[in-house]
Amino acid sequence: MPDERLAGADPDLFLGRTAMMRSINRKDFLKFGLALPMALRSLGVRAVGESLPQAPPRRVIFVCSCLGFYEPYFFPREGRDLSSSEYLKNLSVLDKVTVFGNLFHPGMETSNHDSEKSFLTGTPSPESPTFVNGISLDQILARDLGGETRFPFLNFSIYDRGWGISWNDRGSAIPPMHDEEQIFEMLFGKEDLRAKKLKIQNDQMILDCLRRDMQALQQGGAPSGKLESYGLVVDELRARLKHEEFWMKTEKPSVDYSLSDDQEFSFSTKIRNLFDLAKLAFQTDSTRVITLSLDWIDGAIKVPGAVGGWHTLSHHGGKADTIAQLSKIEIDTLRHFNRFLSELDRVKEGDGTLLDHTTVVFGSNFGDASNHTCNNLPMIVAGGGYRHEGYRALQEPTPLCNLYLELLHHHGIGVDRFGSSQKDMGLLQV
Amino acid sequence: MLFWKGCGQNVGAEASLARSAENTPLEYFGTYCFDCHDEETSKGDLNIESLLANQKSDLNIVFEHLISSRMPPANKDQPSAVERNRMLRWLAEREAERLPNEYRRLNRHEFVQSANDLLGVKLDLTSMIPEDRGTYNFDTDRRIQLTREMLGAYFHALDDMLEFALPSKGFLPERVWITNRIKDSHRTYNIYTRPFREGILFSWTRANNGNNYSFFYDDFVTPEKGWYELTFEAMKVGEFVGDASLMVYAGKYYYADDRPQPQRLLDVISLGEGELAPHSIRVFLNPGEIVSVHCYSRHNFRQQNGEEGIYIKQLKVQGPVFDQWPPKSYRQVFSGLPLKRPAREPEDALIPRSQLEAIGGRLVVSSFQEGMGKEKMLDGSNRSFWHTRFSPTLAEPPHYVILENPERRQIDGLSYSTWSGGNGNGQVKSYAIYVSEDGEEWGEPILAGDLEIRLANQQLIHFAESTSKPFIKFLVTDAFSLDGRSLASIGKLDVLTALSAQNVLLPVTVSSRSVSDLRLVIRRFAERAFSSQLSDEDLEPYFQVAMAVLEGGGDFVEATRLGLKAVLGSHRFLMVPGNHVNPSYETAAVLARVLWLSVPDQGLMKIAKTDQLVGSALDSEIERMLLDPRSDRMVRSLCRQWLDLRKFKEVTPSLKLYPLYDDLLNRYLPLETEAYLAALIRENRSVGHLIDSNFSFLNQRLAQHYGIEGVVGQRMRKVHFGPEVPRGGLLTMGSVLKVTADGFDTSPILRGAWISKRVAGNTLSPPPENVGEIESMPGEESLNLRGQIEQHKRSPSCYACHKSIDPYGFALESFDATGQWREHYRVKRPHKGTFQYRPSGYYRAGDPVDPSGDIFGTAFSDIFGLKKVLLADHKKVAYHFVKTFFEYANGYQPSLRQRLDLYAMIPNVAEQCRMKDLLAQTLIYSLGELQ
Repeated sequence: MPDERLAGADPDLFLGRTAMMRSINRKDFLKFGLALPMALRSLGVRAVGESLPQAPPRRVIFVCSCLGFYEPYFFPREGRDLSSSEYLKNLSVLDKVTVFGNLFHPGMETSNHDSEKSFLTGTPSPESPTFVNGISLDQILARDLGGETRFPFLNFSIYDRGWGISWNDRGSAIPPMHDEEQIFEMLFGKEDLRAKKLKIQNDQMILDCLRRDMQALQQGGAPSGKLESYGLVVDELRARLKHEEFWMKTEKPSVDYSLSDDQEFSFSTKIRNLFDLAKLAFQTDSTRVITLSLDWIDGAIKVPGAVGGWHTLSHHGGKADTIAQLSKIEIDTLRHFNRFLSELDRVKEGDGTLLDHTTVVFGSNFGDASNHTCNNLPMIVAGGGYRHEGYRALQEPTPLCNLYLELLHHHGIGVDRFGSSQKDMGLLQV
Repeated sequence: MLFWKGCGQNVGAEASLARSAENTPLEYFGTYCFDCHDEETSKGDLNIESLLANQKSDLNIVFEHLISSRMPPANKDQPSAVERNRMLRWLAEREAERLPNEYRRLNRHEFVQSANDLLGVKLDLTSMIPEDRGTYNFDTDRRIQLTREMLGAYFHALDDMLEFALPSKGFLPERVWITNRIKDSHRTYNIYTRPFREGILFSWTRANNGNNYSFFYDDFVTPEKGWYELTFEAMKVGEFVGDASLMVYAGKYYYADDRPQPQRLLDVISLGEGELAPHSIRVFLNPGEIVSVHCYSRHNFRQQNGEEGIYIKQLKVQGPVFDQWPPKSYRQVFSGLPLKRPAREPEDALIPRSQLEAIGGRLVVSSFQEGMGKEKMLDGSNRSFWHTRFSPTLAEPPHYVILENPERRQIDGLSYSTWSGGNGNGQVKSYAIYVSEDGEEWGEPILAGDLEIRLANQQLIHFAESTSKPFIKFLVTDAFSLDGRSLASIGKLDVLTALSAQNVLLPVTVSSRSVSDLRLVIRRFAERAFSSQLSDEDLEPYFQVAMAVLEGGGDFVEATRLGLKAVLGSHRFLMVPGNHVNPSYETAAVLARVLWLSVPDQGLMKIAKTDQLVGSALDSEIERMLLDPRSDRMVRSLCRQWLDLRKFKEVTPSLKLYPLYDDLLNRYLPLETEAYLAALIRENRSVGHLIDSNFSFLNQRLAQHYGIEGVVGQRMRKVHFGPEVPRGGLLTMGSVLKVTADGFDTSPILRGAWISKRVAGNTLSPPPENVGEIESMPGEESLNLRGQIEQHKRSPSCYACHKSIDPYGFALESFDATGQWREHYRVKRPHKGTFQYRPSGYYRAGDPVDPSGDIFGTAFSDIFGLKKVLLADHKKVAYHFVKTFFEYANGYQPSLRQRLDLYAMIPNVAEQCRMKDLLAQTLIYSLGELQ
């Protein structure tokens, strides 16, 4: 169920019109040249009137690695020191990373793979036939942070499977993009603006027409759930078109980058490319909210040093040689994650780096995928300008949504609940 | 046909009678169930007593065990048929009403098929729209809802579909390309092709990494997406037995030593034994794609410079082709209106040999050897080459090539290829580029650089700035020489320039600006899309949006395009069920959606108009629709969703263990299943055919795979076989056996679960969430999975379910991960150094297979025995099939009450229990439930 209390807290949040209003604000900013992205400068593109000082925008990215990590290699063996973690000791920005121990989603201590659906929503019982998901954390953030960028949010996944970790306020999956070339084209490709303008005008006429047809029907009879939900979608699309129309006045950024095309390790290549695209999207201030679902399929994958079914391997049952293979895959993923963090940290922005202004949340829906348990989720928070403290093992099993609630607060969203949260525990100090 | 309705009523009648009888249904449970399943005993962790006491508990499993007579077990007292019915009815009545969502979104397959049928085109844009099933079983699930992103994706796809059907600037002329030239490949691959008569003789190969290597045809690049006719003039050469198959692909060109780019297998041509003859296929091509061929026969793997193979005299490409001109899209959408169109006759395509020729340029060289002239650099092949003179006298340096550009076209650089062959003499190591206004004054070089001398690939030389100077000189500043003589040779040299497309488009227009014509066009289209009749008020918004274009000065077609897009973006089309003015229209919409994934055709619309789609008219329409080829779409959906074949291509079998697995199997294995299921339905075969039969649909490759003799050629056809053949039925199809394995090893648990869930229909408690899985590791030494599975038996909580899962899988252990019969497991062996593909693979025989098992107390020794066990209870197989089809058709699982009704319509005699009847009855029952 969507969180009723949250909905009550700020009704505007749920009207789906926020993006449109934000874009008008954005327009005013632009007049004074205030809001042109910092990052354009770092790309050597000069923005008009950029001399006015400004605070770098805050961004956030959530990454879910859907089969988790082999716990003994992930979590540090002693103290707060990440250098005793087999996997994390080699992270190059260790001082900007906090690893949490003992986080979980109440009501789903064990689960099947459907737990991916609740990773960012905290809605219990995802495997139930009557399950209706709640809104995901990124979508709440996108309403607030999304209005000022070309893309209010982006969500990516590895495969075309129609759902990832972003869910809208009606609990429907927002289909993620998975084709790197399409994403690149969308972010940076040159457009035929005349054709696009005409298309947007036509689409607006069509949406008006569809609205009129519905109104006629609704006047005729009792309110229908079908028409209502359709009407909401039409309005959302209309707002989206307005947003796009506004952004046509600003040229898309151009970047000097080409996607990796290594077919041999296509799984690994995909993850690398998606992280790179996320970085570029932040760097060019194309968006401020991203989710990335590293989803699994049954088929075999190949990474340097290992080939086999990721899923099959994840059920290692404690067998040493299986774990050795599995860890090759996990190390490969973490290698790309590490590269992502270092690249963000290399981009200077304001008084710090892009990483300092980007909250990176990297984790999994599974604590131990071999046994399908979901307690002690592997959760990393990196960057975001927090005072990081290596490994933070919480005394008691703690709802992950407490951390999520805190993140909302850090981004200036004044709600008092999210999902199964109990309270903001102040886990991250600025 | 409607006899089952009577049966259903009987069950109800008994139930109501029972109320006045002595025993309440609850007491029957006491008598027959509580002995084992009460608080004390709770056999199988099941305490029915407490379940029944709790109003909210889920009694699905109790119901299913009772209706399928799995419980009470055979050695216990059985309730009479009447008692059993009363118990079931009682369970159904107390089931909490769980209403499915009232509406859902049209899924992407329905969307694309409907739009295609409405527009009269065939354009598969499904992949433009995100996968929409999520984790649900069926694409039709009522929980699938519309989001802004999906509506956006539909709008986006519509733009492309409308532009394809009714293009704003017109259609491409129809062109004919004829070529017998293939593009360069690496020299190590050249040995598999050679000039032969007037064309090329192809031998067969699979590259060292196991990929099929394709040879790419030159001179044709797809200009625009559409349908093209490819005609190969070809024949089999050689005395070997069996078919020579020409596999035709489309894709991006790559050199053999590049990483192969993914190619799309378009079709397969079987050449048979005949003389040289034209073989045509009609294929859909995307812009920029080129055509490549791979010649397949297992008889001459990698024959070098062979005398056997496929001789292709030439490839003729014609297109884009339409069956009619003006195309069906116009005839259908604007039916009855006068269409104006220019003539469209096939015309020969101009095939420039080189870009230099295309811009009117020519070459001048410093010298040349007889037979190795400058024209060899422009002939498109790097097997022929230009060489400086070495006989009778040796040409002195400088060696150079001048590229003349008399029309002063903009040139961005040069493309260069070494000649593929020889001993390396003359290969250019470094060069300098000069440009000139008059061909005399050259000044300083604009560029100098080095070239790879052993690389077959094209090497590009980009100028820092484009030039339009009329003279460009490529000066050889250093070249390889074995003996110190000064020589130079070049395979290909050409300019890089943007060739302007000079296509004159052929517009088709409607000679009308009449408002009433526009209204008619929109109305006709919308009524079919919405499966209803529209009042003027209903139509008004859709008409207005088109009218606004016409009033704004746009043309009739443009106005129509916008109107149609609004129709196909409407909730009346996208939200299911729609709005219908009478029940027949609704029935027509349901039938078309379920059976065709589409909208009603004219025939259905006509019957619906008078609200006559009931009774025998309904029966005969269902019959007609099932025989119509459009119902292949439903069959395909069922295969993909019910049988899980959507995952078929996710796994590539290990080349070490299964070296003979190839693209042909990958293409035809799922087609076998589709053809078979379609035949069971259309021929109204008994439901037992799902388990076993004496026929299937095979071609030569599949027959080889299955060890069945006497099938020649790759055309799919019905093949009968004897009882000694384990094939026949779904379980032993390669597609199913492959999709239940991970490409390395087979897992009796996964295969058992597949049969249990999808065919046998055993209802199981959901697996405990926190259990470790038993999985074998790829190629592990002497894996004995069965031994590990014995562990299941030792753990009571595992055994409760796995005793009705694993044994099915045991029987299928006789089939490897690609579906081939085996007596022994294969154990992988290491290869030395880099992996090199070889047909014998890298494995040795491991332990023998033991396919015996025991299911619900009945022992079987192998797959033949298992099939008998499953066939023994045809009602169970039929019951599962109708439940599955009900869920597919309606988007939700039938309630217990509906299951009772469905069960009641299954005939008691196995031979009378037929696929088409069951399907039609389920459909008619579903229609009744809608009201």
